[in-house]
Amino acid sequence: MILVTYITAGARGQVQREQRRLMGTSFSVGRGTKAQVQLPDGRVKLDHAHILVADTGVTIVADAGEIKAKGKTVKVAALVPGEDVEVGPYLLHVESAPSGLDLALTVTLAKPRISRSRKALLQVFLSLPRLSKRRLSYLLFFTIIIAFLVLPSLPDLEKKMTLPMDGKQRGMMQEMSTLLGGGFSQTWKPGPLSPSHQLFGDSCRTCHQIPFVPVRDAACLDCHKTLKDHVERWKLSGSRGLAFLETRCTECHSEHNGLPIAPRAQERCADCHRDIKSVALQARSENASDFRTGHPQFRLSLLDADHPDVLKRVRQGKPTPPDMVEHSNLKFNHALHLNPAGLRDPEGRRDASGMHDSQGNRTVLKCASCHTPEENGRFMAPVSMEKHCRQCHSLAFEPAVTKRQVPHGNEELVATTLREFYARLALGDTPPDINPPSDMSRVRPGAVLTYEDRQRVLKLAQQKADRVLNELYETRGVCVTCHTVQRIDSAAGWRVAPVKIAKTWLPHAMFRHADHATQSCTSCHDVRDSKRAEDIAMPSINRCRECHVGAQPQLDKVTSECALCHSFHSGHEAWQGAPKGQKRAEAK
Amino acid sequence: MRWHESILEYKRGRYLKATLVLTAAAIAVYAWHEPPGHVKPNGGTWLGYTLGTIAALLIVWLMLLGLRKRRYRSSAGSLQGWTSAHIYLGTSLIVLASLHCGFEFGWNVHTLAYMLMLIVIVSGFFGVYAYLRYPELMTANMGAESLDTILPKIAELDRKCVQLALDLPDEINAIVAKSTRSGPRENTKPGRPRWRLPGSGQRYTARDAVKAISRVGAKFKGEQAVQNGKLLAEMTRKSVLVDQVRRDMRLRAKLRGWLFVHIPLSFALLAALTAHIVSEFFFW
Repeated sequence: MILVTYITAGARGQVQREQRRLMGTSFSVGRGTKAQVQLPDGRVKLDHAHILVADTGVTIVADAGEIKAKGKTVKVAALVPGEDVEVGPYLLHVESAPSGLDLALTVTLAKPRISRSRKALLQVFLSLPRLSKRRLSYLLFFTIIIAFLVLPSLPDLEKKMTLPMDGKQRGMMQEMSTLLGGGFSQTWKPGPLSPSHQLFGDSCRTCHQIPFVPVRDAACLDCHKTLKDHVERWKLSGSRGLAFLETRCTECHSEHNGLPIAPRAQERCADCHRDIKSVALQARSENASDFRTGHPQFRLSLLDADHPDVLKRVRQGKPTPPDMVEHSNLKFNHALHLNPAGLRDPEGRRDASGMHDSQGNRTVLKCASCHTPEENGRFMAPVSMEKHCRQCHSLAFEPAVTKRQVPHGNEELVATTLREFYARLALGDTPPDINPPSDMSRVRPGAVLTYEDRQRVLKLAQQKADRVLNELYETRGVCVTCHTVQRIDSAAGWRVAPVKIAKTWLPHAMFRHADHATQSCTSCHDVRDSKRAEDIAMPSINRCRECHVGAQPQLDKVTSECALCHSFHSGHEAWQGAPKGQKRAEAK
Repeated sequence: MRWHESILEYKRGRYLKATLVLTAAAIAVYAWHEPPGHVKPNGGTWLGYTLGTIAALLIVWLMLLGLRKRRYRSSAGSLQGWTSAHIYLGTSLIVLASLHCGFEFGWNVHTLAYMLMLIVIVSGFFGVYAYLRYPELMTANMGAESLDTILPKIAELDRKCVQLALDLPDEINAIVAKSTRSGPRENTKPGRPRWRLPGSGQRYTARDAVKAISRVGAKFKGEQAVQNGKLLAEMTRKSVLVDQVRRDMRLRAKLRGWLFVHIPLSFALLAALTAHIVSEFFFW
């Protein structure tokens, strides 16, 4: 027989004891009501263990459950007075048994279940992590402020800070802030740089030199040193003129669009040029707003060969203004030279060059026979006597005597050449290819001349030379075919009027002949009926408008904003033409 | 006056009209506006600055709702009006900010601010939906009950189930123990829940227990079968209540959960906006 004492906590925490005597030698231990030693807790098995009373002593044997004695899991434990055995959450303590009893046990619930308060229960359902909106807000706010505001501005902050550091530390600090700031300030970059500025890479501070100060013109001029003013400052007038003066580079050149930085927008030009007097009262240019709808006639720059320092600008118009003539001091008849039936050619049939169509001994000239483009593609190369005229226009001074010609372009050299030639003949030194002229007295070869003889002979030679010079300049009309000549009192004897031919008529327009190679020459410069060198064969704006329209695109027409022909920053220098490749790159 | 007026219909949609006027005006000016120099529209034109200023001030004002709703004694407009305006004017930001930037986006702090703003607004849309829909569903779910009345009932049922399982085989007992356990946090101190990823906890629902008990108990006979039947009945009652509570919790979570996106991200937006504005003028 054994005695089991259950110790439980009452409703108010007081200790309650309940004793049970059990008969037999084997007692089941389990949670069920059928167990002899009932341990009513879910953590105990139904057939957890059993207690055996034998002659050798009382033991507890584990069945479905687990028992622990002295902290170790055991299969069998002896129930000796003073011993403790754990069965699930229960503690079985062996007391010394009163006589007549085999065993006295006290049973206590050592590990009660955590009481299920409402709060604990709520947690079962509200298994939300400890997420605080406020904490999260702070976290995100300061992370973003640091990453996107503090770090990018670090290099500038670092300059403002006065930290007690020695030189080396300061250097390290600077290096670090530059590195960090450079990287993080990329997050400020609103868009890709224009192609021409991409060489700056990540260094924002190349242009953005001072915090909170808009990009200064000085930053641009650090590199763009040779830029010219668009217009001289004194020419500007009024408030709009002043406003123009204060225009900053970045107002026209906007960056970070990934587009070319040069503005093509003609609205910007038209802002002033639509009413140019409002900006520059003294302006002599006329209003312009669009090539098709609002552009004045061209103003040609005219030279005067007799007054080379004066450049006269004459506006085209109908009728043609009387002073729209070229004073080149040259005589030239385009109509004659372009005779479709050809020109007499003293050298007869020539067809090697390909520039000449040859029929018999007549040569048919084309524009390109004389006018070839210059290398930069803008201008036509100057026509030269040597290359283009001399083949037909011989400068032979006495064809019956010699094929020799006088040099071109220097009156003194012409006179000298003749004097030397005839003096040589007079002195009896006749070159083999010369047929000596009959009207000249000659010295017998081998004769010894006295000083007086020589003077006499040379004087005769001089007279002959002067006669031939007169023929050349005047009677035979060799020079006057093309030039205006004048007798003067000098060693040369004659003066050819200085020649000045316009190289460009519109020095500020960015016109390239090479870009217009698809057109025939005469479609713009019709000289087939021109008989005088004074004629100017420049096309009018209407001719240009046959192909070019303004900013508003049109089918089969070239859209032409101001910047197609005009350059803002070239100042008053004539445009010299950019190499072809460069222009293409800009247009991209 | 109607008994209930939705925040969307506050004062017959006063703020809806205001928002429509505002956005229509912004779109009209944007269409008319031609940025000088034929550049693409951007934040740097006068219209860009104007729209940007309006949008920035709006964002700050929208965030003030958080303060206004805590000031119970404030007389600066009714909270309902504020909320209605908050919703409509907040929505108008999508238009204003897009026009402000001229639809230029990139990997930078500027677009970060824009994206954060969009997320905040979209989470706000969900919030509007939640506030209009879920309270109704919650009432339908809980009926006359509340968590305060239902949770003790569950606790009581738990206790009964444990009691009934004492006399049933270990298998059943284990099922009951599992279903009454407080889940993954059994070994943690109460009141200090840990972070838990959704679905990571070993959850054994009352419904699972009901299925398991009836499956295991099918082979029981006699007294055991009767006992098991009683347990099954109690467990089923519990599972109904638990489902009800879970649904309530789910609705509560949805009703408030969006705020965990809306509010922290609106502070992130405030930071990004500050960085955006400062950076614009820092590198002018």
